[in-house]
Amino acid sequence: MLAPTMTAPARGARTQGAICIRDVVKVYDPDRAAIMAVDHCTLDIAAGEICMIVGPSGCGKTTLLNAIAGFHSITSGEIHLDGELLCGPSKPLADPGPDRIVVFQNGALFPWKTNLENVAFGVVMQGKMRKKEAYEKARAMMADAGLSGTEHNYPGEVSSGLRRRVEIVRALMNDPKVLLFDEPYRALDSLTKSVMHEALLEIYYKNNVTIFFITHDLEEAIFLGHRLVIMTSRPCRPKLILDVDIPHPRDYSVLTTPRFRELMDQTIEAVHEEARKSFEAGEREG
Amino acid sequence: MFREHAASMQSPPSREAEQLIVRLLKRTMPFQVISESMLQSVAGVSRPFSYRAGEVIYRAGDKADDVYVVVSGAVEHLLSETPTTVERNRVMHSGDVYGWAAVLGQDKRVRLATATCVETAEVIRINGAALIERLNEDPATAKVVMSRFATMITREFGAPAAAAQIAAPDPSRPDAPAAAPRPQGQATGLALTMFRMSRWLRSPKPLLMLLGFALFLGFWYLSVEVWKLPRFREMPGLTVVFKEWFSKNPTYGLSFYTPEYYEHIWVSVRRVGIAFFLATALGVPLGLFLGWSRTFREYVFPVFEMLRPIPVLAWVPLAILMFSGSETPVIFLTFLASFFATALNTMLGVESIDESYTRAADCLGASKMQVFRHVIVPGAMPYIFTGLQISVGVAWFSLVAAEMVSGQFGLGYVINTSYTMVRYPTIVIGMITLGAVGYVTSAMVRVVGDYMMQWRVRELALGGR
Repeated sequence: MLAPTMTAPARGARTQGAICIRDVVKVYDPDRAAIMAVDHCTLDIAAGEICMIVGPSGCGKTTLLNAIAGFHSITSGEIHLDGELLCGPSKPLADPGPDRIVVFQNGALFPWKTNLENVAFGVVMQGKMRKKEAYEKARAMMADAGLSGTEHNYPGEVSSGLRRRVEIVRALMNDPKVLLFDEPYRALDSLTKSVMHEALLEIYYKNNVTIFFITHDLEEAIFLGHRLVIMTSRPCRPKLILDVDIPHPRDYSVLTTPRFRELMDQTIEAVHEEARKSFEAGEREG
Repeated sequence: MFREHAASMQSPPSREAEQLIVRLLKRTMPFQVISESMLQSVAGVSRPFSYRAGEVIYRAGDKADDVYVVVSGAVEHLLSETPTTVERNRVMHSGDVYGWAAVLGQDKRVRLATATCVETAEVIRINGAALIERLNEDPATAKVVMSRFATMITREFGAPAAAAQIAAPDPSRPDAPAAAPRPQGQATGLALTMFRMSRWLRSPKPLLMLLGFALFLGFWYLSVEVWKLPRFREMPGLTVVFKEWFSKNPTYGLSFYTPEYYEHIWVSVRRVGIAFFLATALGVPLGLFLGWSRTFREYVFPVFEMLRPIPVLAWVPLAILMFSGSETPVIFLTFLASFFATALNTMLGVESIDESYTRAADCLGASKMQVFRHVIVPGAMPYIFTGLQISVGVAWFSLVAAEMVSGQFGLGYVINTSYTMVRYPTIVIGMITLGAVGYVTSAMVRVVGDYMMQWRVRELALGGR
């Protein structure tokens, strides 16, 4: 299904975008309730890797993403991007910036700007390009992603699958080192989802950015990722790290391969246990 | 690009047109899954057509032969109103498929909806019976395509609010260039408004509106002048009021033909205009800052909340003490209520903005001022305009109160003095005039709001509103 000329870059072929998470702890409301969301989490993500973070709902995955993006402070530990400190003891809150761009759960295209204006937004705001130049580049990038003809539509006028793609193109406009996905396809139906997965892989094969992808959909995780990091339920910490040895480029035919089923079986067990724990914890609190 | 073929609709499409059709079909939901050779075969039974804006492609009740795929332009799809379904419409763009009644069972091939071309559209039509025949050559594929059609159909009839959003997943392949870039660009806001207006005029709604007015006026006439119901008997009757209103020589001195009538209207409109302008100019920035800056809010909001519930009438003595003359106190009183409504709604508007938007702007490297200008202000706009609608309403409300207390002209003054001087029909003339002028000003605010928020108008239009 993919174009035959498409080659998958070797993992880590890119030199930029390595994330190093060291002993990160996040405690909400440390004075009173002291809810521990992330517990001594250590994780290395290579440049150009697709790292899938899997865990039950509300386990603290998003907290980790927010710490990398610079939306939430961390209590202790350090996060580095390419050897540079993003946040640590001296600076608990990272500065949000165009080197790490988040693709949000419910989508965050500005509904009052057209798709083209949305895509051009970052570079214009940063003063990197003049408006005209930015629009030209944005138009080219949208055409490249099969989004021609929707430039002057507002996001509210196009389908949700298309909106997600515009949002990814908006992020790529800024040539980020890392894309942070916060369950972006959760609200999509499975038909649209399957198309979105292949589209994402194609974008990845062209741009080869590091991808930090939160999901609780196992099929999605194995289909997309180089590596799966299964998190424990709250507080969140890597429980099992699994290499997905299915070679890239992948398309939807891998879903039916025996290896895929094997990997599914391995992960289901680990995830199920955590999901049950988190459910029982919820029962107790309730 | 299909125009040259439109003339020869009945002949099979040329080789390159067929390729275009194949590429387009690949982007559509039902056909996305099928093989290249099958697509070729389907393209063989497809015919390109083009329609002008306003042209009706088919109506509910027509016989359904073809399935339609939009190549370019926009087509509005309107489910007909029946007792069980509410009217719901969608605008479809390139890659969207409609007219699926053509693939249903033989006896069900009747259009349930009306499809109208909104902006010049190119579509391809696929004969439903031929399509099924071709698909059946490969039963496995046929099953998938039919189940996808079924998904589309349930979406059309399914959750109404979500329908507009998810009804058209356009999973265009990133490697396939769009079959046709839209040549005309977008329907402009004005064209969209005109289209909706003309549809409104063609629908039964204007008649219902007239009927509503007729019932109201009829009740007034009958209860006062014919049946002479208790309590209604003292009221000025319909015929008396309208005779007075249209009289060249009115008994009580006020009608369409007297210059005083327009002078009163003008004075009131001017007062409301000035007060509304000041309330907007001060209220919107105040609301934006209240919502945006937590510190600012800590200082200002408690005072604001204490002053807000004080009724306009309670301000009358202070207004007279503060401002000399009769004009400024009236404007001040009118301004007050508007100002509070505007500022409060603007503040709520800022608070309503989803955190993701400001976060996304932070990610994309926008500075604090840029976030304010590009996210906070436009994000609060829908609430601001709701606030302005309320603000215009309360401006008229407080104006009349203020004019009754201290004014020398204006509609409130007319109503009040007519009462003391026993000119009852004039009271009603003043009231109806107030209602009409108030309605017009409120409609003007709505039009300006729609003009400034094209994105919202289009979103709502897609939701069928």
